[in-house]
Amino acid sequence: MNKAYEDRKGREGLPRAKIQKNRFAWMFWLAPVAAVGLCGWFIYRDLIAGGPVITIFFQDADGLEVKNTIVKYRGAQVGEVTSLELTKDHQLVKVTARLTGSAATLARQGSTFWIVRPEVKVGSISGLGTIVSGVYIGVQPGSGTSTNVFTGAEKEPLAEEPGALHIVLHSPDLSSLQELSPIFYRGIQVGEVLYYQLSSDAHEVVIHARIQKDYSPLVRAETKFWNAGGIDFRLGLFKGVQISAESPKTVLSGGVEFATPPESQNPATNGANFVLYEKPEDKWKSWTSPIQLQLPKKADQSNGPPSNASSELNLK
Amino acid sequence: MEHETDTVVACDTCGLVQEIGPVPEGSVALCARCDFQLFHRRPNSRVRTIAFSLAALILYIPSNYYPVVTAEYHGQHSETTVYQGIKALFTHGQYLIGCLVFCTSLLSPALKIIALLFIPLTLDWPRWRKARTWTYRVVRFIDPWNMLEVFLLAIVVSMAEMGQIATVHPGPGVFSFAAVVTLTLLATLSFDPRLLWDSSKGKAQHE
Repeated sequence: MNKAYEDRKGREGLPRAKIQKNRFAWMFWLAPVAAVGLCGWFIYRDLIAGGPVITIFFQDADGLEVKNTIVKYRGAQVGEVTSLELTKDHQLVKVTARLTGSAATLARQGSTFWIVRPEVKVGSISGLGTIVSGVYIGVQPGSGTSTNVFTGAEKEPLAEEPGALHIVLHSPDLSSLQELSPIFYRGIQVGEVLYYQLSSDAHEVVIHARIQKDYSPLVRAETKFWNAGGIDFRLGLFKGVQISAESPKTVLSGGVEFATPPESQNPATNGANFVLYEKPEDKWKSWTSPIQLQLPKKADQSNGPPSNASSELNLK
Repeated sequence: MEHETDTVVACDTCGLVQEIGPVPEGSVALCARCDFQLFHRRPNSRVRTIAFSLAALILYIPSNYYPVVTAEYHGQHSETTVYQGIKALFTHGQYLIGCLVFCTSLLSPALKIIALLFIPLTLDWPRWRKARTWTYRVVRFIDPWNMLEVFLLAIVVSMAEMGQIATVHPGPGVFSFAAVVTLTLLATLSFDPRLLWDSSKGKAQHE
């Protein structure tokens, strides 16, 4: 043992303590600094990297759960629901959701939010995955300035199709048409019904539809549209009973067909109005008008059937 | 206390009674026999206690704001903060356990932090001496209860995991919580109770 301390006597005959430099006396200040740093990181993670908090008003928030319901865009999670509450007048449900940092630009005017639920209707089944996983909120981004308050849509909005030709059909009654009912040209679907409404004076139904960009030259100012839905049932004296239907799908979901007379030249403009006839006149079906189309080349499939793709399809 | 002249102190570690001369700024005295740090009063006791208590106070907020437990239950994700846990215990009629968790997890750290800030901050006021002494006694009393929530959490997690009911992970709150417990512990350790009566002599012997 070191007995050297006994040599260094103090005044009262006691050993004397050694004095040494202490360079680490300030170390305890690291504790509050680290605490502030940790809190700063939490705040950064939640507020800055966490993306904006948005408020969506829904008519019906059935199935939504705080912290469990997520917001999805293109199948990827872009946020989660943080609170659910009734508005003061009890008319709407106020849903608060926090978006992730990478999805912050989804919070802009024109963005549409809707609740994805399992849905089975004539012609389509959707959202089956939500039976197991619970509902989620879908989003379709808009292009306006950034905002944090949205009104939830009843259902998924139709995907925007740039360059599509929008037309308006007028019909005495809706018959079997519904949203997304197909529009055919020679049996090929070239467009669909977007939505419909009663005209302001309620004497006809106004049907808004669109024709895909590639097929829009098919529609001319003189084009005739007729209802192709349901089953056509004709009783003729010499022909007997004639039953015809455009396709099994149109029997259920309705459909529209059109034909363009050969001599027509003026292409239809966006928002052009047409009459939707109940039945085609026989000569309409015999119209064969060559119309030049710019169709995209079908992608070659290495192990698929040989494609007879041609860059220009001359419809005769 | 005669700060500048010699004093007689006993080494905390080996018990050797020795003289300690004037210690210049930025230096420490070492025991003549065991070379361990020697002090008349714990060095920087007051500032250290304040620093650690402040750090604990800062982290007390995230420890209660963030979930301590996140559980995956049949595909459902749930996060529970301390407060939500206590509320759930009360709504399920577990009043005794609810009270216990409330006292050990919310009340006692808060009390301890307040007390450990109160004592060093009021050292210069001789009139508060009795209040300080009482506060110190309370701190000493609630100290052992502070560790209880760690055991409670361990039990909850092991119960849930063993029962295969849910997958349970610790959330960010629990790390803040552990830090709060550690920091309050450090604050109590660095506080020299002798400061309680030093100041009453009107000399405020604390560094």
